[in-house]
Amino acid sequence: MLAHKSLNLNAVAENFDVSRPAISKHIKILTECGLIVIQQQGRERYCQAQLQKLGAVSDWVEKYRQFWNSKLDALEVYLNQLQSKEKKSLKGKVKKNGRKK
Amino acid sequence: MDERNNSFRQDGNQLIHTRMLNAPRELVWDVWTKPEHIKEWWGPNGFTLTHKSMHVKKGSEWKFTMHGFGKDFENKIEYLEVVKPSLLSYRHGDKNDTISFTVYVSFEEVENKTRLTMRSVFKSEEVLDELNRQVRAIEGGKQTLDKLEHYLKTQLQLQNLDNND
Repeated sequence: MLAHKSLNLNAVAENFDVSRPAISKHIKILTECGLIVIQQQGRERYCQAQLQKLGAVSDWVEKYRQFWNSKLDALEVYLNQLQSKEKKSLKGKVKKNGRKK
Repeated sequence: MDERNNSFRQDGNQLIHTRMLNAPRELVWDVWTKPEHIKEWWGPNGFTLTHKSMHVKKGSEWKFTMHGFGKDFENKIEYLEVVKPSLLSYRHGDKNDTISFTVYVSFEEVENKTRLTMRSVFKSEEVLDELNRQVRAIEGGKQTLDKLEHYLKTQLQLQNLDNND
């Protein structure tokens, strides 16, 4: 809601089935967290969402990092599987042939 | 964890992953360049992959289909450099796309292990900034709303509990 435009407290309150004082209290907490900034314009106080505060976890670069980290994890697991299979089949051959360098 | 062996960093228009793999270089090369191997680990978690054709040489392609979310996604990777077993580079996306980027994967031999370095090079740092902005606009907006709504809901429930006492 606030991501799209700044709203005054009454407008925010209209969107929720909660009392106006309750809204004020919650807005105050969000302000303390830095997620909302309140600007006084004449008699009205407007709330503005601070989206960049949430940016650290939602950057494209961060997603790319996570994606490739999980792919490289999968690559590691697969390499380990391949190598343990190879060892097993080598052991099998050693038994059959009796000797293996 | 050894920072030098397992790391991620951004250097201007490049995103760089490094990883020390406990496997000989020839095997790591195979796992990147043979269809029966690459389909075992490539692509998003939960997706499956159908291999179509793969020619690992300069100017040739790997074509494959990813299946996920009940849909099929056609994919193509064009190889730009192939130096077995030490360097592989490919283009991700169409040459003319703004977000098309080139990936350079190098394989270094280190005491029978392999240090893999994956450099994803974008057209400019601004392209990455713009992608970040777009993701933030979508996700940030969604998250703020979700958080606010969730918070208000819990508060409302608490109030109701108080009233019922």
